[in-house]
Amino acid sequence: MEPARVDSVSDRDLMARLAAGDRDALAPLMERHYRRLFRLCLGYLRNPEDALDVVQEAFVKAFLNAGRWDGSIEAGPWLSRVAVNLSIDRWRRNRRRQITFAPLVEDDHASTLATHGPGPDQGVVRRERRDRLDRALARLPARQRAVVVLRHYQDMSLEEIAQTLGMRLGTVKSSLHRALGRMRDTLRDARES
Amino acid sequence: MILAHLRMRRRVALRAAGLLDDAEERAIAAHVESCARCRREDAELRAVVEALEADPRREAEPDLPLDVLVRRVELEVGEALVPHGRPRWWLVALPAAAAALAAVVLVPLVLEKLAPTDPAVVALPVPSLPVEETEGALDRLEHNLAREHAARYLSEARDVLVTVAASGVDCDREEGRLDVGEAPDRSRALLARRALLVEEEAVASARAVLDDVELALREVAELPACVRRRDVERLRDEVVRRHLLMRIRLTTRELEG
Repeated sequence: MEPARVDSVSDRDLMARLAAGDRDALAPLMERHYRRLFRLCLGYLRNPEDALDVVQEAFVKAFLNAGRWDGSIEAGPWLSRVAVNLSIDRWRRNRRRQITFAPLVEDDHASTLATHGPGPDQGVVRRERRDRLDRALARLPARQRAVVVLRHYQDMSLEEIAQTLGMRLGTVKSSLHRALGRMRDTLRDARES
Repeated sequence: MILAHLRMRRRVALRAAGLLDDAEERAIAAHVESCARCRREDAELRAVVEALEADPRREAEPDLPLDVLVRRVELEVGEALVPHGRPRWWLVALPAAAAALAAVVLVPLVLEKLAPTDPAVVALPVPSLPVEETEGALDRLEHNLAREHAARYLSEARDVLVTVAASGVDCDREEGRLDVGEAPDRSRALLARRALLVEEEAVASARAVLDDVELALREVAELPACVRRRDVERLRDEVVRRHLLMRIRLTTRELEG
């Protein structure tokens, strides 16, 4: 199979081809966006397997719903919106599952104690820091969490976030303000406990 | 004055997030200098942003090559485009709809029956029934656990089936064969778990999918790690024809509530 010449075709062309049922347009569109969407979903879900599964589902949905894409927003933000909505859905289901089951403790002592890279102490510190960040993000409401992830894992501007999430600019600003404040409180509590 | 200060605090957060233009930045910097509370807030929020921006997940790479992901997506798309032979989704949707209808119709009737009509009874405190309540709670927990176990099993089975059906890595050992890695071993482990799944009304809506998945896993369990391409294609066609991946997704969601 000849490699797709990604740069020569615009996202809009690819979306139009998807809408017409052309499956060959999938690979170049995925090549452009899958890494970015993976990081978005990983920032939201905090678990690489879930993130990859959601990215996969997002592209399936993109293909099946390409006909509904009206071009009023670019394909990139549209794909991000699909991925965020699926991530929110997955996150909520995972939360319900955690309520039934005892929280699963990821046993990564082996990787913490591995001799590659930082030493064991540094590994423990890094892991604690990561866990604190996970908890702080976990306590945010779904949309605030999405705003934080789009800003700090995708480097989006306020306008881009508003477009991606279909929110007003003022709502994005206040969501970000509240989210950072909540995260500050959670991180502070974690340090003090 | 207070409102102006609150607006400033919101801008302090936007400043920490790196979202102010130069003019706003200068204005807010002057305010922060003169306001001890805002200065503290500014430092704390910056620490949050630093923690976020130091997260290695920002630069993480997916643990799956693009071509494999493309094949997986194409497989699911292909499945979705195949016309439904039998509308199996009814098997998931109907029991859920029936349960919802029953809840809407029956719950008010039951509550009406249970509601005390005698004013004298109303005045009395309702006796607590700790034993029944505990049993009820345990039943609900068991019900939820059965559904969660089934959902997890299906989710993992789905991953195995996708791995095999979307396999495109040639085997080193022989030409015309594909490497399906640990999928047969994983199938055998899943089949052992399938035997432990509780067969009761909690997972009744999923039974048809569970049966089809079991058949597919049995086929995968029989495969060697290095499989003839046509065997993989036959399995893929079967998965697509039965809309198995989509049905697993729908059923898993239904089980997870």
